[in-house]
Amino acid sequence: MMNLTRRSALAGVAAVAASTGLAACATAGGDDGDKVKQGDTSAENPLGVSADAALEVVIFKGGYGDQYAIDAGSSLKQKFPKVAVDHKGIQGVGEVLQPRFVADSPPDVVDNSGAGRLDLATLVSAGKLTDLTSLLDAPSLDDPSKKVRDTLMPGVIEDGTFDGKPLVLNYSSVLWGVWYSKSLFAKHGWTFPKTWDEMLTLNDEIKKAGLHPWTWQGKYPEYLNDPLVSLAAKAGGFDLVKSIDNLAPGAWQSPAMLAAAEAIHQLAVRGHIMPGSEGLSHTEAQNAWCKGQVAFIPCGSWLEGEQQAVTPAGFDMVMGTVPALTGSDKLPNGAVMAASSESFIVPAKAKNVPGGLEFLRHLFSQKVARGFAENAKALPVVTGATDGLSLTSGLGSVAEAVKAAGPNVFSYKFRTWYAPLSKALDDATGELATKRINPQQWAERVQKAADAVAKDSSIVKHQR
Amino acid sequence: MRHGKYRFLAGALIVPLTLYGVFVLSPYLQAFQLAFTNWNGVDSAPEFTGFDNFSKLWDDPLFLAGLRNNGLMLLVVPLAVIVLALALAAGTRGTRVYRVVYFFPQLLSVAIIAVLWQFVYTPNSGLLNGALAALGLDSWRQSWLAEPNLALWCVMAVMIWSSVGFYVVLFSAAMESVPDDIMEAAAIDGAGPMTVFRRITIPLIWESVQVGWIYLGIAALDGFALVQIMTVGPGGPDNSTEVMGLGLYRTAFTFGKFGYASAMGVAIFFLTLSIAVLLLRVTKRERVELA
Amino acid sequence: MRIKHAFLTLWAVLVTLPLLWALMSSFKTDAEIFDSPWTPPASPQFDNWSRAWEHASIGQYLFNTLIVVGGSLALTMLLGALTAYCLARYEFPGNRFLYYTLIAGMLFPVFLALVPLFFVVDNLGMLGTYHGLILVYAAYALPFTVFFLHGFFRSLPGAVAEAAFLDGASHAGVFFRVMLPMARPGMVSVGIFNFLGLWNQYLLPRVLNPDPDHYVISQGLAALAVSQGARSDWSGLFAGLVIAILPVLLAYVFFQRQIRAGLTSGALK
Repeated sequence: MMNLTRRSALAGVAAVAASTGLAACATAGGDDGDKVKQGDTSAENPLGVSADAALEVVIFKGGYGDQYAIDAGSSLKQKFPKVAVDHKGIQGVGEVLQPRFVADSPPDVVDNSGAGRLDLATLVSAGKLTDLTSLLDAPSLDDPSKKVRDTLMPGVIEDGTFDGKPLVLNYSSVLWGVWYSKSLFAKHGWTFPKTWDEMLTLNDEIKKAGLHPWTWQGKYPEYLNDPLVSLAAKAGGFDLVKSIDNLAPGAWQSPAMLAAAEAIHQLAVRGHIMPGSEGLSHTEAQNAWCKGQVAFIPCGSWLEGEQQAVTPAGFDMVMGTVPALTGSDKLPNGAVMAASSESFIVPAKAKNVPGGLEFLRHLFSQKVARGFAENAKALPVVTGATDGLSLTSGLGSVAEAVKAAGPNVFSYKFRTWYAPLSKALDDATGELATKRINPQQWAERVQKAADAVAKDSSIVKHQR
Repeated sequence: MRHGKYRFLAGALIVPLTLYGVFVLSPYLQAFQLAFTNWNGVDSAPEFTGFDNFSKLWDDPLFLAGLRNNGLMLLVVPLAVIVLALALAAGTRGTRVYRVVYFFPQLLSVAIIAVLWQFVYTPNSGLLNGALAALGLDSWRQSWLAEPNLALWCVMAVMIWSSVGFYVVLFSAAMESVPDDIMEAAAIDGAGPMTVFRRITIPLIWESVQVGWIYLGIAALDGFALVQIMTVGPGGPDNSTEVMGLGLYRTAFTFGKFGYASAMGVAIFFLTLSIAVLLLRVTKRERVELA
Repeated sequence: MRIKHAFLTLWAVLVTLPLLWALMSSFKTDAEIFDSPWTPPASPQFDNWSRAWEHASIGQYLFNTLIVVGGSLALTMLLGALTAYCLARYEFPGNRFLYYTLIAGMLFPVFLALVPLFFVVDNLGMLGTYHGLILVYAAYALPFTVFFLHGFFRSLPGAVAEAAFLDGASHAGVFFRVMLPMARPGMVSVGIFNFLGLWNQYLLPRVLNPDPDHYVISQGLAALAVSQGARSDWSGLFAGLVIAILPVLLAYVFFQRQIRAGLTSGALK
C-alpha cells in the first residue's frame, strides 16, 4: 500500500507538470462586466429593479412541483412587464449549477433543494451568496407598512443565517413529529401519548391488538434521528441543541442525549418496530403505515403530500409532536423540531441581483404562498398564508402544532453545517435501531465523529 | 512503396486524437492537478496543499472500507461470473434460445437493474422473500440489504446476475469456433467430457477468458451505481457496502471537498491500472494456435 | 442431462423473472404494487403508460436519444476503426504510447472529469447542444472501440492488403475498400456494445445537457424517478422503465441472429 501511494503521488506530480497550461480553466473565475446595475429605488420599486433586464430562475422541481415559482414569476411580470423571466424547473441542482458557480456565472435565483443539491455550507464559506438584508428590510408586497422580515414565521430567517448574515431564505416550513391515523386510533380508543413512558405502554397495547407499533424508513436512517434528537432537545433544552451544533466536547454523551438514544433503543429492544423496517425505503415504510399495518411512523410535515396518491379515504393522518422524554424536560410539552426547506438563494455573482431579490419578494407574498399551500399541501413560511383555507387533516395538524409550540421551536444546524457528522450519525442510528450497538456505543461513535469534525481544519466551523 | 504513409496516418489520427485530447485527457489532467489542492467545488482560487489529500486517504475509514469491499468484490465477482458463464456456455451448446434470454440483462442500464433489484430484496413485499415463503422457507426470510453480513453479497449477486449473460455469449462464440474434429479426436482417444472441457476447450478459448477477467476486474472496482441506488444509507448498513466510487461521489458532491475527491479518483485510477496489468500477467498463457 | 437442463432453465427464470415482473407492475395500481408483488393487476392500468409517455414526455426523450446516440455511434465507429487500424497495422514512433494513452481512458472514474469537462464544453459553446453531446460521447467511447478493434485488425491476414498495395491502391483505399469490409464482424460487435453503452449513458448528459427539452432517455427516467418517487407514483415509474427497456430489448430479439453472428466472429480476435 505504501508503495502504491508513492507511485501514485509521483505520477500525480508528472501529470501536474504536464497540465499546468490547462489547469487554469477549471477554476478560473468570470468577470463582472455584464452585471445589471441597480436601478433607482422608489416605494414602488424598493429594490431598484431595472425594468428590462433578463431574470434567470432555476427551481428544484421535486415533491412540491414548481408551480409556485412560476406564479411568482408571473406576479413579477405584472409589475415589470419588460423583464424576461427565464424559468427552469430541474432535478439534480448540484450537477447542473456547480460548474456555473465556479465560473461565477450563476443564475439570478436558485431553489437549492432535493437530492444532489449544492452544499450550502460550501457556498457560504466560498462567499458565493448575496446578503438578503435589503430584501428583508424592504416593504412586503401585500402591506407596504410591513417589512418582508415581519411576514415570515419565527426561525425562518435564523435558519438561513450564517455567522450573522442572512444568506438563504427557505420557503416551506417543516415540522418533525410522529404520525398516526386519527380514525385508526379512534377505532381502538387510543390517544397519542404525552410522555415516552406512555408511548412504550401504548405500544404494548397496540401490539396486543395485532398491529406493529412503529416502522421507520430504514434505508435512510436520518428519519429515525429526528425523533431521537427531538427527545434529546426536549430533555436538554436549547442549551443542549447549541452544544451539539457547536461541537462541544462530550455533547453527544450528555445525559439527555444518552437518554434519548436509550428511548429509541427501547423500541427495538421491546420489539415495537415492524420486522424488516431497517430494509425499507421511505415509500415502502410509509405505505405499510398507510395501509394500517403500523400505528406510528416518524416523518416531517411533507408526509401528507407525499402519500396523497396512496392514502385510503378516511385515514385522516395527523402529526403528533414527539412526546416528552422525562417528567423534568427543560422544554414544555408541545415543543417541536422545525426547520424550513426549499432553500432560495440569490448568488453573489448573479447578473441581476436586484431582480433576484424582487423575485423573492413576490415569492414570499400572500398570494403565491397560498397557492403553494393548496398545490403542494405544505406549509409556506409566510405567516397567515393559510388563514381561511380549509386545511386537510395532516396540514391542519401541522398548523396547529406550530400554534401550540409558540416560541418553543428548536432546530439543529449540524446537518447543514457538517455533512460528515450527519453521515456518521445516520450510520450509528441505523445500528442502534437494529440492536447491533447499544446506546453507550452509539453515543461514543457519534461523539468520535463530532470530535473528528472539530479537529479537521479543512472544515469551516460555525457557532450559534 | 507505400509512400504517403505518414500523410495518411496524420490525416487519419488527427481528428480522433484531438477529440480524445480535448474531451477526455484534458479534463482528467485537470482533475489530477486538483488532487493537490483543497478545492471545494465552487471556489475560484483553490490553495495548493501538496500531498495532504493523499496522506489523509490512508487514515480515512470510509475510503478504507471502500477499498476492502472493492477488494472482496474483485476476488468474488470475476471468478463467479467466469465459472458460471463457462458452465452455461458449455451447457447451451446447440440450444440457442437460452443464450438469447441470458443476454437480456446486458440490455438494461445499470440504473434500471438497481431499481428492479431493490424491489427483489425489499423485506416485506419483495420478490425474494415472497419466493422463500412460497417454498415454505420462511425462516430464510431476511432484510437482505439491511444485514451488514449479507448486504455486500446481495450487491455482488446483482453484479453477477447482470454480467453473466454477456460472457455466456462471448464464451459460447469462442467455443463454437473450436473445430468439431478436435473434440471428436479427443473423445476417440478416450477423454471424458470433463477432460475435453478442461484440457481442450478452456485452453482454446483462453484469450476470451483473459479479456473477461480484465473487464470484470475493472467492473468490480466500480459498483457505484448499484450501491448508490440499492443499498441502505447508501453504502450501509454501517458502511458494509461502501465502495470507493461512492466515497468519491459523496466527498465531492455531499461534503464539497473536490480536491480530496480528486485525490481519491487518482488513487482509484492507479489501483485499476495495477489490477489490469496484474491480471494480464497472471492470466498469460501460451497462445494456442488453431493450425 | 436432467440436472443440466434444470440448471439452464433456472438461470433463464432468474434472468427473465424481474423483467416480467416489471412489465406486470407497469399495469398495476400503486396500491396493488405495494400490497403484493406477486398478484397480477385486477384490471390492467393502461393509464400508467400514457401518463409516462405524455406527462413525462418519454417520446421527446426517445427522439433526442436517437439523434445523439445515432450521431455519436457513427462517429465513434468511423474514428475508432481508423485509429485502431493505424495503430494495429502501421509501425511509427510513438505508436505504443498513443495506444496505451487511449486505453488508459477506460480506467478513469468518469465523475472525476465531470467538472473540468463542463468547462471544456462550455468554453467551446457546446453546452446543451446535440453536436456537443455527440462529440463528447464519441470521445468517451473511443478507448473501448480502439481496444476492441486493435486486436481485430492485427489478426487480419496481411496478404490481401499487400496485393491491394501492389495494385496501386492508396492507404485510405486499402483501409476503406479492403480492411474495413474484412473487419465487418468486429465492427458489428463493437457497434452493439457501443450502442448499449451510449444508450444507457447517464452521467455525461446529466452535466452537459441541462435543458429539459434536450434530455436523453436515461435523464428523463431519472427525472421521472425523482418526481414520481416523491409523489409515490411507482406505477408510472414502472411504465417508464418498461418503455425505456422495450425498444432495446425488441431490437435485440429481432436482430439477435445478426448480432450473435457478429459477436461470434468478433469476440474471437
